[in-house]
Amino acid sequence: MNAPERALSFLLDEDNAEQKITYAADTKVSNAGTFTINKEDHTVANLFRMQLLRDPNVRFAGYIHPHPLIHRIDLKIQTTSSTVPPVDCLTAAIEDLAGETDHLIEQTTNAISKWKKENQAGMGQFQ
Amino acid sequence: MPNQRFPKIEILSIEQHEIKFILSETDTSVANSLRRIMIAEVPTLAIDLVEFAENTTVLNDEYIAHRLGLIPIRYTSPDTLRASDCNGAFLPHRECVCFERCPRCSVEFELDVNFDQTVKERSVPEHERTLPFTVTSADLVSNHNSVEPAHFLHADEEGNSHDQGISIVKIGPGQHLKLKAIARMGISKEHAKWCPVAVATYRFYPIITINEEACARLTLEQKQELVDVCPDRILELDEVSGKLTVSEYAWEIATYTEDLKVAQDAMKEKPEDDDFVTVEHSTDRFIFSVEGTGAMDVEEVLMSSMRVLKERLQYLSQQLEQIREI
Ligand SMILES: [Zn+2]
Repeated sequence: MNAPERALSFLLDEDNAEQKITYAADTKVSNAGTFTINKEDHTVANLFRMQLLRDPNVRFAGYIHPHPLIHRIDLKIQTTSSTVPPVDCLTAAIEDLAGETDHLIEQTTNAISKWKKENQAGMGQFQ
Repeated sequence: MPNQRFPKIEILSIEQHEIKFILSETDTSVANSLRRIMIAEVPTLAIDLVEFAENTTVLNDEYIAHRLGLIPIRYTSPDTLRASDCNGAFLPHRECVCFERCPRCSVEFELDVNFDQTVKERSVPEHERTLPFTVTSADLVSNHNSVEPAHFLHADEEGNSHDQGISIVKIGPGQHLKLKAIARMGISKEHAKWCPVAVATYRFYPIITINEEACARLTLEQKQELVDVCPDRILELDEVSGKLTVSEYAWEIATYTEDLKVAQDAMKEKPEDDDFVTVEHSTDRFIFSVEGTGAMDVEEVLMSSMRVLKERLQYLSQQLEQIREI
């Protein structure tokens, strides 16, 4: 009866003008801030965290997914110098991951067609 | 792009319902994201709305609607051979501009089974006229020529079944089931019926190292004991040279049990001595195993998961640009 709409776990709540990403600079730590990404979970959060940690400009990167029923992640980033804002590091991380995914798509397409070519004899078409 | 990786994919096998492959030169975060997307975010078609016209069967409307929802619905692209990814061919129904539904966002199935009429049409012998039969997914008639229920995973399964498809309900004399079912595209974050996979897992590739120097101090019996203690049979002993070797398929069968560690600790002179054999997890090589439900070809599930990830990253990057402007 009062259960929330299932789709609200991945669709933005437009009635309440929910934003996908918001940023809040840290008031106590320099070169740091928290990105709140709505309607995302470990799938992208951990991907971002691990990619950020490979960046030499990043001193700290971590996230929390507060609760399985709260569809939001808070990603905190601290950079090594004030000349590199956290948003730059996150943008670079996403760009790297997108490049990696593109590479993966190409690799997989080739691997699948190569496998099929080599093993076609044994592959019956099922209808 | 200063920190980009270039992962590799090696296909081990592709069957109708299962794909095995090795993903390497990347880390767990990528492997886990792909696994999670294959389970929860690859769009498929599933029956989401059922309009009952007549139901005098033993199961109530809700029960039948639920069963219909769980039937894998398969899309076959008309232009490319064996492409079953419905993403792009259909719109998620919430994104569609139509009032209720339209061919861009939904597929309609009709089902009309009347026991008495069917028995008459099939000319069933007199003494079998009251025997109930099963209404199956094969009775669903699609209004879209490239969308139909996936009745069986493969030919073997079809051969072993008594029915023409997936059972929905048993129907008896005087009973009638008539309904219209509407399939829509969705993801399994909303409901598990949209999940394209039964199983999607990965294992760490094992790194098995044999310390030849340390092994030289062992007797043949001790080496044999090490071989025998592994329940997964990852080691072999060459009878002639007396050398321990890693068996050919060890990477496929290694289970990381503690038995080897316990056995070899007992053979050491001092506890701090080097291990004779070590079995470790690789941190950048993953053996994937993905089993489909029949709604999509398994290799398409993998491809689709990567496209979903790519779209998500693009979207997030756009959103991040907007933050920058503020
Ligand atoms: Zn529509």
